[in-house]
Amino acid sequence: MTTYVEAIQKHVVLPLEKATNRIFTQTYNPFYYHGALPNLFLWVLFVSGLLLLVYYQATLATAYDSMKFITYEAPFGNAMRSLHRYAADGMMLFVLIHLFRVWFTDRFREYRILPWITGVILLTVMFVVGLTGYMLIWDADAVALTNITVNLLHAVPVIGNGLAGFFLGADLSGSALITDYTITRILVLHLGIPMFMMFMLWMHYLRITRPVTNAPTGLVFLMLSGLALFSAAFPVVLGEAAPPNFNVALDPITFDVLYAWPHQLGVAGWDPALIWLLTLAVPVGLLIVPYLQKKAMRGQFAQVSKDNCTGCSLCYADCPYEAITMVERNDGSRFKKLSIVDPARCANCGLCVGACAFKAIDIPRCDSKDVLAEIELALANQ
Amino acid sequence: MTATPASDLAPADSSTEQNPPIRIIGLVCERSVELENRLNNDDRLLDDPSVKIITVPCSGIIQPIMMETSLKKGAKGCFATGCRMGDCHYREGNKFLQERLLGKRMPKLKPSVNKHRIEAYWLSAVEYDEFRDLIESFQATVDRVDADDAAAS
Ligand code: HEM
Ligand code: SF4
Ligand code: SF4
Repeated sequence: MTTYVEAIQKHVVLPLEKATNRIFTQTYNPFYYHGALPNLFLWVLFVSGLLLLVYYQATLATAYDSMKFITYEAPFGNAMRSLHRYAADGMMLFVLIHLFRVWFTDRFREYRILPWITGVILLTVMFVVGLTGYMLIWDADAVALTNITVNLLHAVPVIGNGLAGFFLGADLSGSALITDYTITRILVLHLGIPMFMMFMLWMHYLRITRPVTNAPTGLVFLMLSGLALFSAAFPVVLGEAAPPNFNVALDPITFDVLYAWPHQLGVAGWDPALIWLLTLAVPVGLLIVPYLQKKAMRGQFAQVSKDNCTGCSLCYADCPYEAITMVERNDGSRFKKLSIVDPARCANCGLCVGACAFKAIDIPRCDSKDVLAEIELALANQ
Repeated sequence: MTATPASDLAPADSSTEQNPPIRIIGLVCERSVELENRLNNDDRLLDDPSVKIITVPCSGIIQPIMMETSLKKGAKGCFATGCRMGDCHYREGNKFLQERLLGKRMPKLKPSVNKHRIEAYWLSAVEYDEFRDLIESFQATVDRVDADDAAAS
């Protein structure tokens, strides 16, 4: 029976990649660097963000003016701002491509559950980083975003007022209104969460041997020049100044759909409870999805023959999912080490079999000795 | 392509008897080029029954010795297929096999093996036409190598 994943892979993903291979060749196909490209944009964000921070001032009175200075006067200020903006969109776009690709090529469950779960966490916090970034500008749109956020936080049952208070910095200011402390909190979130993301990325790669975090130079060049050209063609402009009273109702506005779609629903007058439900349905749904499919492997994993293993470590070097450890052996064998497979991490892929020259490791669904026997039998019959 | 599909030659149950001798052995990753409905009862290609297919879960499981054995036991050529470079389901299987065949990763293909009789193709499940063309040109290569070898001896 074909699963929906197999169907999408065969009818959408593979034909699409066949077409992109014609343009990029398989060496530079961006779809094959779905994990590396978000990393590239992340680096652009770090560098451009650091330079923006040189001139940014996180106070209610000066934030907007400092953005004005960055946008129109500071050397390369507009370039950095535009790069930062479009790299954020690029990162979200490629993370979504990454997400859908690992999902619809069946690379998202069983022994890959750790990267999937940490990925969902990364996606969720990225969202907050983008959102707080738009708030820091402190133009009319930013103030609207901040107000809608405060309203949404207040609407959370039981802890809502606490959350809104934390976001506003009410613990320091003693006020339930937007103050200088609020903008500092926003900045702390915008800078602190990326540090947490570095930790999450470390976990993301924990069970992946040699994660492909860098795209080939040609593709990096293409992406960066695309980003630069886009920034030059559509330099970011500064929105209108916010009205002096930050807590007034605002005209309908359009936010960045990638980062602020829940807020857009808020502008459209949706009920906060419904917005929360919809927003939370994304990560919760993504966390459930791997468990909706039948296991492919049914607990199978690579088997090591104690008699044949020489402890050469070639399987250990090649295993793509960190499933093999080499342990000291003192069972009277003349060899010093033995290969041990962790069943929970093993993909049942057989890369260790290809690496072993001593017929010492095999996967149950395809024994290397059977393959050799099949070759010999086929050729012996003629 | 000169071969007639085996399905035209024989009723399905006795197809083995009608198959020509095996010239080429193909070790094919089950996720690369899709051969469902392309093989006869004896796992020969319907488009070219002198090619015997052995399916494996990933090209990364293929040991060079499997390809060496194919040639030693009488096949005129042996090829492997894996997914497109960059798209191995298990991340690195095709890359490692390629490196083994090029002599850059242990265990390596024996240097004494005639490299013209060994090929590897990186194709996705939806690229059967490309696959068939590659097999056709491999047959031609093998013919040439056979002729060279005959001339040399
Ligand atoms: C900050 C954003 C992210 C970055 C920079 C990132 C980066 C990467 C990289 C470099 C790899 C290794 C690819 C390889 O070498 O095969 C990877 C694997 C993976 N990522 Fe992400 N990722 C991000 C977000 C996500 C998200 C949002 C998800 C899904 C919810 C996700 C799910 C996965 C999975 C399941 C794998 C394992 C794929 C495999 O084993 O073939 N990642 N990621
Ligand atoms: S490659 Fe084979 S012999 Fe070497 S350590 Fe692994 S199982 Fe043992
Ligand atoms: S089959 Fe071998 S190479 Fe593949 S994950 Fe398991 S131990 Fe690692």
